[in-house]
Amino acid sequence: MISSGALEKPVRAIGGFYAMALDTLVLLPQRPFAWREFLHQSWFVARVSVFPTLMLAIPLDMLTVFTINVLLVEFGAADFSGSAAAQATVVEIGPVVTVLVVAGAGATAMCADLGARTIREELDAMRVMGINPIQALVVPRVLAATFVALLLNGLVTLIGLAGGFFFTVFIQHVPAGAFAAGLTLLVGLPELITGVVKAGLFGLAASLIACYQGISVKGGPQGVGNAVNETVVYAFIALFVINTIATAVGVKATM
Amino acid sequence: MSEPVSRHRVPRLRRTVRSWVDGWNRIGTQTQFYRKTLTSVGDALVNYRVEIWRLIAQMSLGTGALVLIGGTVAIVGFLTLSVGALVAVQGYNSLAGIGVEALTGFTSAYLNVRFIAPLIAGVGLAATIGAGATAQLGAMRINDEIDALEVMAIRAIAYLASTRILAGVIVVIPLYCVAVLMSFLAARVGTTAIYGQSTGVYDHYFGTFLQPVDLIWSFFQVIVMAIAVMLVHTYYGYTATGGPAGVGEAVGRAVRTSLIVVVFVTLFTSLAIYGQSGNFHLSG
Repeated sequence: MISSGALEKPVRAIGGFYAMALDTLVLLPQRPFAWREFLHQSWFVARVSVFPTLMLAIPLDMLTVFTINVLLVEFGAADFSGSAAAQATVVEIGPVVTVLVVAGAGATAMCADLGARTIREELDAMRVMGINPIQALVVPRVLAATFVALLLNGLVTLIGLAGGFFFTVFIQHVPAGAFAAGLTLLVGLPELITGVVKAGLFGLAASLIACYQGISVKGGPQGVGNAVNETVVYAFIALFVINTIATAVGVKATM
Repeated sequence: MSEPVSRHRVPRLRRTVRSWVDGWNRIGTQTQFYRKTLTSVGDALVNYRVEIWRLIAQMSLGTGALVLIGGTVAIVGFLTLSVGALVAVQGYNSLAGIGVEALTGFTSAYLNVRFIAPLIAGVGLAATIGAGATAQLGAMRINDEIDALEVMAIRAIAYLASTRILAGVIVVIPLYCVAVLMSFLAARVGTTAIYGQSTGVYDHYFGTFLQPVDLIWSFFQVIVMAIAVMLVHTYYGYTATGGPAGVGEAVGRAVRTSLIVVVFVTLFTSLAIYGQSGNFHLSG
């Protein structure tokens, strides 16, 4: 009987996650929409994510642009560093940094916050008062995380392009005009749209995972810690899978 | 409700200064904790060997629900697998745009070893082993178990933090082997089986540009990263405050900090190791 118990737990967790995700989708268009909570959560997620975004995007972009430029200089094609920087930032680094920030910063903070409320039995109190916690807490959080993820993607892209420009023009002495002219050679509107869609999907998936882990916390301090730990792991796995699939689809669609 | 009248003449200035001073002091206590942890490593190795073995077993297989999806090794392997596939998808298509898709093997040998595999392994390490350590230590702190250890005359930092640093460094070596192999495998399978490049072409360029010395350096990078990540996570767990909710917040803060640390370690070590030139032999 031990094996059936061990098997039952993950299956139950997956079922519970799908049930909550479906509840969220069904309750999404229903009135009243919790505007105040949505604004609060957007501000909360943005506040915890902006600093990690800056600190992750600047070094990663510098490293990538540097490595690619060294390669291009070797080929004798330093003039194309603009197109390489645009390709690297918009298509590759942008989504990866957004994954790391949304899953590592946004989702962990959200899960810790919801988990604390669950431990203090605030969710049960809401149910007693006839308020559906999914509608009052989960729906605005999921929407806020999706919205902020879209904005973060833009921020990461902007930082990457500005950093790439600075690094290439002032340190590796490529003409500024050549850099700017190369920007749109490989990357156009379709690539940008792929990046935006990816960021939206990341926000959606990570916040659903964080909310599920948060509202199903059990068992005191260790429970909340474990829930946040599991949120990071599951969110990373889900987001890396989404990233690979969405990149393949995006490449196919823009070819 | 009316605001209580402040006892001080310039309350806002006072609060700002206080928060600056607190931040400054936090950096100090953090540095002190790191020094104490690192200097106690020898102590841990001599006196708490059983604990180190227990932690190694626990970290490599994971705890709680993470065991069910294959433990730390499977998670890190899976992350690098998906990023390796990304290298294949993106590298092949970008290079095909200028007609040199034969060089996909080169991108795999060059980018995977130099920063993609170490970076993703570091991120996986922070998310699994690191966050788990913060959750454990935080729960122990909240339940006053750490104070109990000190009452029993067990050196808490050596017993809890230094042992975790050692175990983390030992676990990361086989873990990184799996990670590098997975990233190579995913890039190769993606390029040859899915995009239909002949395996001979891929292996030729991959073998030509893969430098064994780079692999050894990337192991060094990952070990530095493991030490930094475990230090950050044990600090946040060891100093968790504020009840059950505090543990969750400590885990979140630790993950945010260690992600930043991982990226900076990658940047600085790779600039220090590979330097200005890039050090690859394109023209022999």
